[in-house]
Amino acid sequence: MERFIDLAVSAVLLAGLYATMAYGLGMIYGVLRVVNLAHGGVIMAGAYMGWVLHGRLGLDPYLSIPLVVGASYLLGVGMYKVLVRHLPRGAAGGPASLLLLFGFWLVLRNAAYLLFTGNDQSITTTWSTRSVALLGTHISATRLAVLGVGVLVPLGLHALLRHTHLGRAIRAVAQNPDSCTLVGVDVERIYTITFGLGTALAGLAGLLSATIFAFNPGSGSGELLKSFVVVVLGGLGSVLGTGIAALILAVVEVFAILVMPSYLTAAVGFIMLVLVLVIRPGGLFGHRVLG
Amino acid sequence: MSRGFRPPAPPRLLLGYGIVVAGLAALPWFTELTVYSHNLMTLAFLSIAGALAWNWMGGFLGQVSFGHAAMFGVGGFVAARILLAGPVPAPLAWLAGGLAAGVFALGAHPTLRLRGPYFSIATIGMGEATRLLFTYWEDFTGGSSGLSLPIQTDMKHHLYWWGLGLVALVAAASWLIRHSALGLQLLAIKADVDAAADLGVSATFYQDLVFALSGAVVGVTGGMWASYFSFIEPNDMFGFDRSIAFVLMAVIGGVGTVLGPLLGAVVFVLLRQYLLASYPQLYLGLYGLLLIFIILFEPLGLTGLWLRLWRRLPWARAEA
Repeated sequence: MERFIDLAVSAVLLAGLYATMAYGLGMIYGVLRVVNLAHGGVIMAGAYMGWVLHGRLGLDPYLSIPLVVGASYLLGVGMYKVLVRHLPRGAAGGPASLLLLFGFWLVLRNAAYLLFTGNDQSITTTWSTRSVALLGTHISATRLAVLGVGVLVPLGLHALLRHTHLGRAIRAVAQNPDSCTLVGVDVERIYTITFGLGTALAGLAGLLSATIFAFNPGSGSGELLKSFVVVVLGGLGSVLGTGIAALILAVVEVFAILVMPSYLTAAVGFIMLVLVLVIRPGGLFGHRVLG
Repeated sequence: MSRGFRPPAPPRLLLGYGIVVAGLAALPWFTELTVYSHNLMTLAFLSIAGALAWNWMGGFLGQVSFGHAAMFGVGGFVAARILLAGPVPAPLAWLAGGLAAGVFALGAHPTLRLRGPYFSIATIGMGEATRLLFTYWEDFTGGSSGLSLPIQTDMKHHLYWWGLGLVALVAAASWLIRHSALGLQLLAIKADVDAAADLGVSATFYQDLVFALSGAVVGVTGGMWASYFSFIEPNDMFGFDRSIAFVLMAVIGGVGTVLGPLLGAVVFVLLRQYLLASYPQLYLGLYGLLLIFIILFEPLGLTGLWLRLWRRLPWARAEA
């Protein structure tokens, strides 16, 4: 029973991270209809940004959140202006965009490798070993903080989308870009901002995960796939859906340890991805992601 | 569309094909190829065969697979296991590997109804899951320490002709597929699944068929690869980087064109050899840049570049 609670708690803590990871991917897809295959690469880049800020400037990862988010936002704006914008219209969701962003991922991987070598890194602060007693188990303080950010950020974003002028414009463009042009919404600008926000979230997710897991230039493919599972399962544009889907993924992954060797639990996410795509491509809540 | 639609191979094309294949087959006897370039050409042949087969799926059907390493690995390990089990002629083992890979590819049936990005991302998942499972299955693959094959004298040398034969077959098959009713059906599915279905072209059936065929060829390649190196290891055979290589070769040469992937594979192998020797730390990123440039400026890769140049030549202009 104690073990059960332990596992359940760690699943909940993990879910916040997964939700943050997935929200960025879902946002870009929802508005631009482009699957950002470089998502995993941006997550990796975010992890290294935090690592550099912590290692060189001694900045606590939670204080460096604004810096990493801002830098990732600029990275996303650049990616959109230099790469994604030039894709032929209509084919944006096709193989061309996948290959293009995949190419960018390879470049990011290589750049990280050149700058930081291929060694595993992680961010350890003075308080990463502390823990909090809760529900009869000890919870690592870092993981709790990650959960907090992972809950707050998607909620904040949701508020932005619901209650601001910009948010309304973004939602309108997601529904029908042509009509938006007619009523005077600068669609290109909205696309740029959305891509920036999506990558900013990915960067943040990378920073958060760097405080828990080790990373190297090659990491990111697992994160990309997990984000995709959550997006497909949870549907687009629903914070609650994303949260529940992230929780499901985290629970399945964590409890898989009970039934299979730990080495194989990494495959659980991949298998779940295929199962979700095949069995419930419409997601759990009917917000069909599959076009 | 009549089922008998099949324009005959123009005699000139057939002649050219015969001359190139015969010329390459005879090359080692007429010139003093160093062992290095002899082997490099063998590797190029194996890569070409894989790239052409990937293109059936990624180019003709427009379903970009990031998981072809799964079939490559299955073919390689089945062939290796057969060769380790007893004195079986190597070509039979490769065939068995190809068959196993084809059947394994059929296991991907559920994902084949996914289109576009969903299919591509599902193949990343399938590929990585396969890698983990086979690395874990130590009794079969030897786990992370891999398998050593029995050394056969001259095998590496002879693989030149086996590889060439495979390329000749696969290239001819690519041309035939493209210029047959099957090719048109694949094109129809690529352009619009629903419209194709209305005309009675079953996307499910043809995708299964093409994925199995493509997987079988890649499996045979994997078997030959195992014989070439006489040592295979699951993390390498099933690795994501290997899946990427198929994609890159086809994209560099020209996705969806008949022989573009052939060109792409040659360039890829040569470039890789050069980059690995001179700039080992840069080669992934350079491929990434290449990919970006191709998609932005010349989506048909080298083939598109060639077509552009061709149109500028004086005699081509005179004909037009």
